[in-house]
Amino acid sequence: MAQVLDKPVQVKAPVTPAERTARRRTLLQWIAVHSLGVAAALFFTLPFVFVFLTSLMSDTQALSRDLIPHTWEWGNYKKVFDTPGFLTWWKNTLIYAGLGTVLTVVSSIPVAYALAKFRFRGRNLSLMLVISMMMLPPQVIIIPMYLFWAKQLDLSGTLWPLIIPMAFGDAFSIFLLRQFLLTIPNEYIDAAKVDGCGDLRTLLKVVIPMAKPGIAAVGLFQFFYAWNDYFGPQIYASENPGAWTLSYGLESFKGAHHTDWNLTMAATVLVMAPVILVFFFAQKAFVEGVTLTGVKG
Amino acid sequence: MATITLASKRRRSALRTLAFMSPWLIGFAVFFAYPLISTVYFSFMHYDGFKPPTWSGTKNWTYVFEHYPYFWPALRNTLWLVLVMVTLRVVFGLGVGMLITKIKTGTGVFRTLFYLPYLAPPVAATMAFAFLLNPGTGPVSSILEKIGIPAPGWFNDPNWSKPALTLLALWGIGDLMVIFMAALLDVPQEQYEAAELDGASAWQRFRYVTLPNISPIVMFAVVTGVIQTMQYYTQPLIAGKVASGVIQGAGTQFEPGYPDKSTLTLPQLVYNLGFQRFDYGSACVVALVLFVLSMVFTAFLMRRRGGLNLAGD
Amino acid sequence: MPGMSRKAAIALAASASIALLATACTGQSSSGASDDASKDTTINFWHAWSAASETKAVNALVAGFEKAHPDIHVNVVANMTDDKINQALRTGGDKAPDVISSFTTNNVGKFCSSGALVDLNPFFKKDGIDPETTFPKAMNEYTQFDGDRCTAPLLGDAYGLYYNKTAFAKAGIKNPPRTWSEFETDAKKLTIAKGDSYSQLGFMPDYHGWETTTEHYFAQFSPTYFDKAGRSSLATDPAFQAGFTLQKKLVDELGGFKKLETYRATLGDEWGAKHPFHTGQVAMQLDGEWRLGMALAAKPKFDIGVAPLPVPDDQAGQYGKGYITGTITGIAATSHKQNAAWEFVKYITTNTDAVVNFSNAIHNVPSTLAALKSPNLTYDPRFKTFLDIAANPNSTTSPASINGGVYLATIQNFGYDYENGKVGDLKAGLKKTAAQIDTDIAQAK
Repeated sequence: MAQVLDKPVQVKAPVTPAERTARRRTLLQWIAVHSLGVAAALFFTLPFVFVFLTSLMSDTQALSRDLIPHTWEWGNYKKVFDTPGFLTWWKNTLIYAGLGTVLTVVSSIPVAYALAKFRFRGRNLSLMLVISMMMLPPQVIIIPMYLFWAKQLDLSGTLWPLIIPMAFGDAFSIFLLRQFLLTIPNEYIDAAKVDGCGDLRTLLKVVIPMAKPGIAAVGLFQFFYAWNDYFGPQIYASENPGAWTLSYGLESFKGAHHTDWNLTMAATVLVMAPVILVFFFAQKAFVEGVTLTGVKG
Repeated sequence: MATITLASKRRRSALRTLAFMSPWLIGFAVFFAYPLISTVYFSFMHYDGFKPPTWSGTKNWTYVFEHYPYFWPALRNTLWLVLVMVTLRVVFGLGVGMLITKIKTGTGVFRTLFYLPYLAPPVAATMAFAFLLNPGTGPVSSILEKIGIPAPGWFNDPNWSKPALTLLALWGIGDLMVIFMAALLDVPQEQYEAAELDGASAWQRFRYVTLPNISPIVMFAVVTGVIQTMQYYTQPLIAGKVASGVIQGAGTQFEPGYPDKSTLTLPQLVYNLGFQRFDYGSACVVALVLFVLSMVFTAFLMRRRGGLNLAGD
Repeated sequence: MPGMSRKAAIALAASASIALLATACTGQSSSGASDDASKDTTINFWHAWSAASETKAVNALVAGFEKAHPDIHVNVVANMTDDKINQALRTGGDKAPDVISSFTTNNVGKFCSSGALVDLNPFFKKDGIDPETTFPKAMNEYTQFDGDRCTAPLLGDAYGLYYNKTAFAKAGIKNPPRTWSEFETDAKKLTIAKGDSYSQLGFMPDYHGWETTTEHYFAQFSPTYFDKAGRSSLATDPAFQAGFTLQKKLVDELGGFKKLETYRATLGDEWGAKHPFHTGQVAMQLDGEWRLGMALAAKPKFDIGVAPLPVPDDQAGQYGKGYITGTITGIAATSHKQNAAWEFVKYITTNTDAVVNFSNAIHNVPSTLAALKSPNLTYDPRFKTFLDIAANPNSTTSPASINGGVYLATIQNFGYDYENGKVGDLKAGLKKTAAQIDTDIAQAK
């Protein structure tokens, strides 16, 4: 007797019409939302798919309106790799992006720290100037800068005019880092001071380890800015094919290959792929960085 | 015993600030202030890169504003892009952001897929779209025709080139999507629940709960979108070059804005005047116009604070 | 004091600006031809050819030179477009080219007047070569500006009419059109409609249609682009008015701008296998001499015919003329090896065998009178039409101007507006365009 009465009996209430409508509405909503999602996903991914498919077509088929390749010409990729200069473009882009990122991060951190944690007259003015620099189109100052690098220093035909300025801080990186550093509680910094740390040691031993996510985000942004940069290499590196980057080389590739759309699309895939691959490995840092840019009024 | 005076403390603090800020201070002077002053200077000079510059007064200014056939079309295009492209990007970004927050199954996959196009390098993305939208050989035209819709000329038709560029911009909506997503998720759930209890419809909930909460972000997206439009260079240039098919024919060089000046933007004019016509002075005039426009909107952004959190602490 | 950091920054900026401004204005230092061409040296040669067959031909040309001049090595760089060349000419330095070649004859005016390329007249004189008797008349015209001959022709291009013989026969036309009226009639006869579009278009007249640019059309009308004072004669020379009017008439008669543009958007690329002339979608094509080789390679299903372009009815006696342009080559003013560079330029532009072999390889028109008559020229018999056009004394080219091809682009832009109906009043439009050209030239001075 006790056993029967131990377990409370679950009496299932009958499903009311109201509940049934609510459930159906939720189901319909689910279907609607996910259909939209699939449609949007198609919009975002189909271009990649078509580009990839076209890159595998034969020369003549690429000019037709076919969507699916008849023969899968993987050799197109080899042809692109064998294009004189292609590997050079890769090397140059890696140097520009890699070296540039390191220089930017190293030079931007102290500035961002000062703007976030120091109190000084002119701090707000500096911050406003940083933001102004962020918003400045590069074309505004390109003429005197080009004349400076090309005529004064004879550095045209190289990527140095793009890399060297990155050793002096990048406005966008400074701003992002500053926003991030603001979120580090002052108690940690004060504690370090009490322990006798000077400003530099505080920065190196206490702040930077805590700021790793922000630094990673800034580094990634700068890396991709340099990777994707077209205008900079167009102005400074165009006269020396040995200094071309992937973006500029891709445009030149199209020019040299007129209507070989299959080869051009293969080259396009090879230019897009590394970025996407890196993204998959660094997703968190990306999203973190993007949110740093726009939030919290 | 050394006494630490207030004055020496202040001096140390100043030196410390100077030390930490020095990379940027040098960068600001050499890579921002100096070139800006130079640009103003050159705008009054006649210089072609070979013979030494000579003073030309307001000649370049008159030329750009009254005789340069690309200047006003570029401004009109910029206006179009600001009104249409920025608006559509913000609306679409918000829409996709909302969609993502409502998708419960496989959110991560959807979010990644929606974000991917933003990562494509601009040259590559533009070339991809130029191929996809090519009226003769592109898949989009063939699909549209199979459905029975006449395919527009896209990058080859002056009336469709900017819409095609907008399509490209919407494809790369990832950055706005993430920002809006974060903002939407920040809206306090209680406000929604309270609204529902009051019997508010979905639209009313959006209007009276969502919008007010995310309006700083919307404002931020709009203003930064406008500022980005000022810098719009690579995509229209590459689209025009690829679509026009002007490669190395005998005779003339590529003139920007194909087709029919419809894709001209101010940054392209700086390139055309400075690096194709080698009229450095007039290029600096356009550069200054670009500067003023950018700073006007930047100032607007800073005054409205659009989520920039200047004070900080 | 905390305020010092700000003041220091401003002071830094100000002094930096003044210092850099003062040194930023440098003119070009000409290096002069002081090198010894017989010493072992290497020169840089930048050219614009990019197709595999073309670069192969250039390399063969260079190899021939190196064989004849073992002390001079040539470092060849291909696919260098004008913007890159222009930049390099201004900055100089070790990596800059010593010799350049460009397809854009319109830039000659800029090259010469700015001093970017050196005047070759002293070099020609020193070696006893008279350009006037070496090169065809039109080529002499477009390689110099204002008495300064800063370039030499490196093979040429001539424009003519390609026509589909099979389609001609089907339409009952026996001969290619010689006058514009015949051309109009033939174009209409050869147009076969298909629904809202065409299955075969007699001729694609739109200015956007690759080679049917304003300057190629108007050459048939023998225009004068600039008067003696250097001002644009666009509004005063009746040739332009005639040209614009007849082209517009052709556009309207063949179906109207909109219909033609829609059709043009579906046609294949200019350099691809699906070129509309190759596929038979267009029965007549205005194009350069290189089209013959490409058309034959595409193995079309019809017989290809070649003829000079038609002439206006009132100039019927001048049938056989056409538009001439070509590749130009010159020596950079910043080069420290000008004498060695001259040996190279002299070889590739005047050595008859070199010119003939190069011309055979890339199917361009040879650029010396001797080469034009050479028995070693190998070509499809139809190619002879272009040789004749090149040698024809009535053939014209577009003159050099101080701001390069800007005036041609301006005329072309006006053409776009006129053919699509945006501008209705031709006379007023021509006046306005002429004023624009004059202003642009004044700006460049």
